Amino acid sequence: MIINGRGISPGVAKGKIALCDDYVSPLGEMGKDGRIKSGKCEDLEFKGKIFAFRGGRGSTVGSYVLLELKENLTSPIGIINEKAELVVLTGAIISGIPMIDGIPLNILKNDDDAIIDGKSGRLELLNVTQKDVSTVYLFHGDRLLVLHRSDKVSSYQNQFSAISGHIEEGETPEEAGRREVLEETGIEDIEIEKTGKPFPVRWENIVYMVHPILARTKSDKVNLNWENQEFRWIHIDELGKLNTVPRLKEALEELMKL
Amino acid sequence: MFLTKDEEKIFDGEMGEAQAIAIRLLVSIGEINGADSLIPIKSAHISGVSYKNIGDGGMKFLKKIADRVKVPTTLNPLGFDMERNGPVEVDRDFKEKQLEIIKTFMSMGIKESFTCTPYYFYQKTSYGDHVAWAESSALIYANSIIGARTNREGGPSALAAAIIGKTPNFGLHLDKNRVADYEVEVNGKLDYSGAAALGLYLGTNYPGKIPRLVGFNYLRDFELKAFGAALAASSATSMFHVENRTPDDTLNRGKKFERIEIDYNQLKNLMEEKSSSEKPELIAIGCPHLSKDEIDYIASLVKGKKKDKDVEVFLFASRETIKNSLESVKIIEEFGAKVFADTCMVVAPLSKKYHKTAINSGKASFYLPMKEYGGQEIIFRNFNDLLRWAVVDY
Repeated sequence: MIINGRGISPGVAKGKIALCDDYVSPLGEMGKDGRIKSGKCEDLEFKGKIFAFRGGRGSTVGSYVLLELKENLTSPIGIINEKAELVVLTGAIISGIPMIDGIPLNILKNDDDAIIDGKSGRLELLNVTQKDVSTVYLFHGDRLLVLHRSDKVSSYQNQFSAISGHIEEGETPEEAGRREVLEETGIEDIEIEKTGKPFPVRWENIVYMVHPILARTKSDKVNLNWENQEFRWIHIDELGKLNTVPRLKEALEELMKL
Repeated sequence: MFLTKDEEKIFDGEMGEAQAIAIRLLVSIGEINGADSLIPIKSAHISGVSYKNIGDGGMKFLKKIADRVKVPTTLNPLGFDMERNGPVEVDRDFKEKQLEIIKTFMSMGIKESFTCTPYYFYQKTSYGDHVAWAESSALIYANSIIGARTNREGGPSALAAAIIGKTPNFGLHLDKNRVADYEVEVNGKLDYSGAAALGLYLGTNYPGKIPRLVGFNYLRDFELKAFGAALAASSATSMFHVENRTPDDTLNRGKKFERIEIDYNQLKNLMEEKSSSEKPELIAIGCPHLSKDEIDYIASLVKGKKKDKDVEVFLFASRETIKNSLESVKIIEEFGAKVFADTCMVVAPLSKKYHKTAINSGKASFYLPMKEYGGQEIIFRNFNDLLRWAVVDY
């Protein structure tokens, strides 16, 4: 899959991802041997890899640390940040390490095969494919419909989710949402209230681009198909207590704020 | 980004390679961050002075970029005290390389001012000044307490700004980016180390966000210095406000913020968690460097007392601060502690001699325990608690 961030330091790098879901202080935390020395990502090897971390922190001397690592042949070959700050950015530019930012780290896994272009900001993940899915949060009054996924579906077996399914070619997210509601619950009369910003969720070698939709129905009669084993009409406060697919609650909260 | 004719000439290399590298770095940074132009700065402060920090790669870069600076420029601390040596012996190679780095900086017209607190004595910085400062504890002080305007410069970008005399206009140079993101309250009174612990807590939990402290008017400037240093070490946050106190708090008037309430005990616990229970070999004070007021206060506490011979006590301040506090320094040295200039506990290679260090600084508590960097077991307490170890019959 390809995702476009922002170009920071020009150059192209191709290699494996080393992922640290935290902020990193190059001074003190990036060791001369090419490994992280302390904190949440202790021992992670970034040498010769495309090092993805949230952003820089700590000492403003960090720029020189990257230069020193480069001299030492123990630097990352590329850098990905969620949001770049000046210290890492300057370090990447003066050391000639390609760097991009604006990439959500939750689409990455350690050892992904990646190519970054530090000029255009483009990231290509060679081992990952992207699929678009619609996720419909369906309300009847103040109750939300959650479905307990069966063990026959291809992902997130036995977890609770909203009504979710692939967007077929030529379909809009709304059309896919209506179709999935009908297929998975038998409910026809839905009224789409709003749609949210699509967000990525990583599952094995797939990134699902989830298009969240908030909809209402007057019917509370549900006929499940094979994809689900159980349904519940719940109050949204109960969502936190269920074992759900990733970001189900967060995405609903964002959608309701719109 | 708009460049003037003169700036374009520099960019094209007409004024030499050093200036070309400097301005190209500034322009890349500006373009990435949406700056409209370069703006003149009043001063610069450079981090990346200790050989321990910049290494051979940094030395090569310095030589390439070495050119006369166009604004008053100060330097961060280095690995040892230039006059009395120490706090630990450094080997000849380290010393030679360090002196070579200093020579390069001096050839550029930079002041011999090895401190992380350039705002005491060296730099006359005022409200509203645009500056380009590296050293996270100094730049957060400049933004927050003085009300000057600087981004969180890396060592090389601050140097580039000094050489050109300008910096790209974005980020904290603009009013709209200097407004608070959230408010903070604590249900207890903080001392120096408590303020530092709060800085660590906020840096870790709200990285990059600008806090506005509510009900903290009792904190003195040196305590806010400790708070800011810890906040800026543990995150990329480069500014804070104190309600009705810091100069740019006017930007927050009439705005509503999410308020976070922090339990005082949570901060005490945070300090405990970082602390070993063993007796320290060394008590190190002055991260960031001490002010004259702090040195005078410490002198008043140890005057006429005797130091325990098993514990070393080292204080760190800038040479100018020490020169202006000679009487107090004398009292402190008579007690048996040592006061070092030019260096500090973080950039000196402490672990060559010491492994258990007691500190009252949140910033030091972030760096010293790092295995490859500080290599210290630490005890993080307020100064009065630390004195119990240092003073005979306390």
